[in-house]
Amino acid sequence: MTSQTKRTGRSLSQPRPGPLQYLVLGLLAVVFVYPIWWAVSSSLKPPADIVRDPLSFSLGSATLDNYRAMFDDVPIGTGFVNTVLVVAVKGAMTMFFCPLAGYAFAKYRFPGKNLLFGVLMLTLMLPTLVLVIPLLLEMSQLGWVNTYQALILPGSIDAFSIFWMRQTIAAVPDELLDAGRVDGASEFGIFARIVVPVIRPGIAALGVLTAMNIYNDFVWPVVAVNDESHQTLQVVLSTLAQNVTGNRVGADFATVWGELLAAGSIAMLPVLALFVLLQRHFINGILAGSVKG
Amino acid sequence: MTSGTLTPPRKERAAPAAPRPARSRRRPFLAPYLFVAPFYVVFAAFGLYPLVFALQLSFTDWKGAGEANFIGLENYTYLLTSEEFWSSLGNSAVMWLLIVPLQIVGGLAAAVLLANARLRLRGMFRVAFIAPFVTPLVAMAQVWIVAFDTDYGLVNHLFNLVGLPDVDWLQSTAWAKPTLALLFLWKTTGFAIIILLAGLQAVPADVYEAASLDGASRKRQFWSLTLPLMRRSIAFLVVVQTLAVFQMFAEPFVVTQGGPYGSTTTGGLYLYNHILASDLGTGAANSFLLVLLVFALSLLSVRLLRSKDE
Repeated sequence: MTSQTKRTGRSLSQPRPGPLQYLVLGLLAVVFVYPIWWAVSSSLKPPADIVRDPLSFSLGSATLDNYRAMFDDVPIGTGFVNTVLVVAVKGAMTMFFCPLAGYAFAKYRFPGKNLLFGVLMLTLMLPTLVLVIPLLLEMSQLGWVNTYQALILPGSIDAFSIFWMRQTIAAVPDELLDAGRVDGASEFGIFARIVVPVIRPGIAALGVLTAMNIYNDFVWPVVAVNDESHQTLQVVLSTLAQNVTGNRVGADFATVWGELLAAGSIAMLPVLALFVLLQRHFINGILAGSVKG
Repeated sequence: MTSGTLTPPRKERAAPAAPRPARSRRRPFLAPYLFVAPFYVVFAAFGLYPLVFALQLSFTDWKGAGEANFIGLENYTYLLTSEEFWSSLGNSAVMWLLIVPLQIVGGLAAAVLLANARLRLRGMFRVAFIAPFVTPLVAMAQVWIVAFDTDYGLVNHLFNLVGLPDVDWLQSTAWAKPTLALLFLWKTTGFAIIILLAGLQAVPADVYEAASLDGASRKRQFWSLTLPLMRRSIAFLVVVQTLAVFQMFAEPFVVTQGGPYGSTTTGGLYLYNHILASDLGTGAANSFLLVLLVFALSLLSVRLLRSKDE
């Protein structure tokens, strides 16, 4: 990592990474990716093989048996539909309101700002678990248990995203905003037409993280919904996990492992595929930066 | 990480920081309030209201049904003198030690390597590092159960191949915590890297240009420029991950159910156990104690990371 540290370069270019750097990064990449590959490839193996030889994988003996059994056992399709719906609506709320609030905190001075920001930061410290019981009771008062609004509204505008967007927007030069003001843009116009385009990479990153977070959310959905028709994918998955741990002592846990890896894989794959596609898009954007403008 | 001989960061910092000039411009009055209002409306309805309710609850013996009797601070004193409560915090503290320092140092190293403009395959490395963060935790927790199984798991299979004995990953009090910490690290280090990388790339190139012209070495640039300018990103990460570790719930819930012998009953899971037992008053009190602790820890870490500079 520090092989060329003696060099006192005058050029702008950074030192060429040596083999050691590639080795470190390569090993790290294997450690991060292998469990995913292992789960997906194992889910395609006959159950007995998962137990007998965890390392082997041959395309020749690949089978969808685990998937067939899993689809018979759990309502995973309904879970998918519910998750997509919640991700779309809740995600849209986050994506609109959080950058807007972040902009206000980054670029305006107004009476009470410190107090309001303090409150925001305090809510960041709130463990989600604190709210679970009372929120559930509130939902039942409202008659919202087993509804989409119960899954969508709580946490739809979250402090974390606002804080992050504030950090991002703080780096936007004030001169850009002042130029917009001189041109007579409204305050919202400055946000929508100047700030948002400039921080587009940050917004894309927020979009990815928000979608992932909502897709992967578990604690609240498992409490707010007990009716199968509203369960999100993660809740459906967790019921399978409970079956597995319950069945450990039972005769055929290889079969259950197979189903479990199949369910895990099918839950991972769409989100991984989407991520790989969007990845190029927003990482390149962060790199380019629009601060130069 | 080994150099103790360099100039302290503060000396180098004044020039590149480029403080923005004090502005005096028209200040629109209403707009910022309108922009931040939606958050406070949602928070009031689904945060503050239930929170006040939970606070009331923490002074009662309510079990989820029937009458709630006011019992003063009894829930709090019960918890503060309960061995289980303290051991849940102890478990979380150990998890924190296993996770946060390693993640920050490792994440920073990976981010620095990735930020090198001349690195080939950079896109591929990034995808690889961030992939775990994208996977659903519940799904990966299931994979962990299978992969770390003592008798038929992947990890012990690999251990045996290189001549190491079986390890009782999830069934021994010594290994259960590191095994869950590994899941957390595997899952979230990509997030740390992406935040740190973004922080690194926010440092303008001309800062380095100026430093190079002044003859500062790469190493020195890292300690004197990069690290101080990254302080905000690092502080942000430490706070976020401290919160996450002390709330850790799904990992032990799915993988170990808090065992063996309560060794993975984290603060978050212990709290949830009150809900399961319908002991809502005690659960609420536990929540608030956890909030206070996490709040204090966050303030402490921010303070520690800032003291270098201010």
